[in-house]
Amino acid sequence: MSRFAYLLGETLQGMRRNVLVVVGAVLAVFVSLSLAFGALAFNQVVRVNTLAWQDGVHIIAFLNDPGASGVAPDAHERLTNDVQGWGEVERVRYVDKAGAWAEFQELFQDRPDILELGNQAQLPASLRIELTDIDLHDSVELRLAQEQQTVSRVSVASNAIQQISQITRVLNVVGIGLSLILGIAAVVLIANTIRLAIYARRDEISIMKLVGASNWFIRVPFILEGMIEGLFGAALAVFAVWVAARPLMGSVSQVEWFRITLSSGFFLRWGVLFVLFGAVAGILGSFLGLSRYLKETEGTTTGRETVPELV
Amino acid sequence: MIRLQDVTKVYDGGTVAVRDLSLDIQKGEFVFLVGPSGSGKSTVIRLLLREEPVTRGHIWVAGKDTTTLPSHKVPFLRRSVGTVFQDFKLLPNKTVAENVAFALEVLGRPKSAIGQQVTQVLQLVGLENKGDRYPRQLSGGEQQRVSIARAFVNRPPIMLADEPSGNLDPGTSVGIMRLLDRINRTGTTIVMATHDHAIVNAMRRRVVQLDEGLMLRDEPVGRYETAEVEA
Ligand SMILES: Nc1ncnc2c1ncn2[C@@H]1O[C@H](COP(=O)(O)OP(=O)(O)O)[C@@H](O)[C@H]1O
Ligand SMILES: [Mg+2]
Repeated sequence: MSRFAYLLGETLQGMRRNVLVVVGAVLAVFVSLSLAFGALAFNQVVRVNTLAWQDGVHIIAFLNDPGASGVAPDAHERLTNDVQGWGEVERVRYVDKAGAWAEFQELFQDRPDILELGNQAQLPASLRIELTDIDLHDSVELRLAQEQQTVSRVSVASNAIQQISQITRVLNVVGIGLSLILGIAAVVLIANTIRLAIYARRDEISIMKLVGASNWFIRVPFILEGMIEGLFGAALAVFAVWVAARPLMGSVSQVEWFRITLSSGFFLRWGVLFVLFGAVAGILGSFLGLSRYLKETEGTTTGRETVPELV
Repeated sequence: MIRLQDVTKVYDGGTVAVRDLSLDIQKGEFVFLVGPSGSGKSTVIRLLLREEPVTRGHIWVAGKDTTTLPSHKVPFLRRSVGTVFQDFKLLPNKTVAENVAFALEVLGRPKSAIGQQVTQVLQLVGLENKGDRYPRQLSGGEQQRVSIARAFVNRPPIMLADEPSGNLDPGTSVGIMRLLDRINRTGTTIVMATHDHAIVNAMRRRVVQLDEGLMLRDEPVGRYETAEVEA
C-alpha cells in the first residue's frame, strides 16, 4: 500500500511539473467525450419519443385483444401473415401487449406517477408496418379498415416523425464517426503527453534503471497519469452534458408530443460507462506513449538526444 | 564473481569494440580496466550491466548468465551491481540524502529502513553533514562521493566504476580512490575503467589492459605503462 502511495505521489508530482500538457490531454478527452455523450443523449431523447416509429415504420395498426367480441384466438397471427403478403408492404412486425408495455415503461421511465396509472392489460398489441413506398399508405389504410373486427385504430407516421427518424439516422452515423475520430485523437494526445512526461523525467528514469527498479515500477506512474487524465476528461464531459441538459429536461417542445426526457438512470448508467471508457482510453494512450520506451527497456539512457516528436 | 568467456561486441555501425575477451574476476578483487580512449573499457562495463547485448560469448555476473537473462530479470541483475560514472548522474532537484534514498525508494524499500541506511552510507563517504545540500552546492569530488554512496547504499556485492575520477583534479581523485579502496575492503568486488596512470600505478592492483577491444595483458599487481598515448 505504501508502495502504491509512493507511485501515486510520483505520478502527481510528475503531472504538476507539466500542468499545461496535462490540461491539454484532459481537454482533448473532455471535448471528444462530451460530443459523444451529447450525441448519445440527443439520440436517447429522439429514440424515446419515436420509439414506436423506429426502423422506418410508416403505419401502426392497433389490434383488439383476442377473445374480445368477434376476434378469433389466432386473429393476430392470421392478420400479420395477411399483411405480410400485401404488395405495398415491405415488412411487418408484430408487437404484443408485453412489448407495448415495455415501450411505455421506457417512454415514461422518469415519470413514476404515469407508470403507476398504466398496466400491461391496457395496452393493445399492434402491427408495425413498413411500406415499399410511403405514398401507398392510403391504400394500406383502406385495406386495414376492412379488418375492423381485429384492427381498432390505424396510425400513420406524420411528416415530422419521418423527418426526425431520418435525421437521427444521419446523426447516428455522423455522431459515431465523429466520436470515433475524436476518441482516437484523445488517445493520441494522451500518448503524446506521456511521451513528453517520459522525456521530462528521462534522467530520473535512467537512474531508476541503473539501480535496478523493475520495469513496472517505472511504468506505473505513467499509466496512472494517462488513466487519471482519461478519467477526469470523461467525468467532466458527463457533467457538462448533464448541466446542459438540465434546463431542457421535463420541458415540452413546440411539437406537443415531443418530450425531452433523460432519466437520472440514463445518466448514471451511461455516465459510469463513459468514465470507464475514458480511463481505458487513457491507459491505452499511456501504453502507446510508452511503446517506444518499452522497446528499449534495457538500456539506461532514455532518448537523451532526441526530443519526442509530436504526433 | 564475474566471468567473461570469448566475449565479442560489434556495434550496429560495425565497430568491433571488444574482441574475444575472456576474464575471471574473483569475489573481493579490485580490477583496473585500462587502455586509451576507444579501447573498449566502457563497452565492457555496459556489457556487464546488460545495457548492451553481447554479439558472441557469455558473461556471468554474481552467478547469473547475463547473456541469456530474460529482460524482465535485468533489474535484479542491476540490484547486485552498484555503478559510478564520470558524470555522477545525480538528480539536480533532489538533495544529497534524497538522491541516495531514491535508489532504495525505486526498489520499493520501506521508508523506515531507508532513512537509517542513507545516514549510514553518507557517514561512510564523509558527507553526513551535507545531506540537505543540493548537488550544485557541492564540489566535484563531493558529488562523486554522493554517487558512490548511491551505488553502495544497497550493499551490492559488485561495484562498477567508469572513469570515476575523469572529471576530478588529482588531489580529489586520491580521496575517491581511498573511498573505493575502503569499499573494496568490505568484500565488494570492484571493476574500474580508467586511463589515469597515476592512480593505477599508486594502487598496485590487478590491471587488465585493452587496446582496440583486444586484451593486451592481465597482471595481478600491475602498473599502467606510461608509453600509452591518450586520445
Ligand atoms: N553506442 C555505440 N555505437 C557504436 N559504436 C560505439 C558505441 N559506443 C562505443 N562505440 C565505439 O566502440 C569503441 C569502444 O568504445 P568505448 O567502449 O566507449 O571505449 P573507451 O571507454 O575505452 O573509451 C569505440 O570505437 C567507440 O567509437
Ligand atoms: Mg569510456
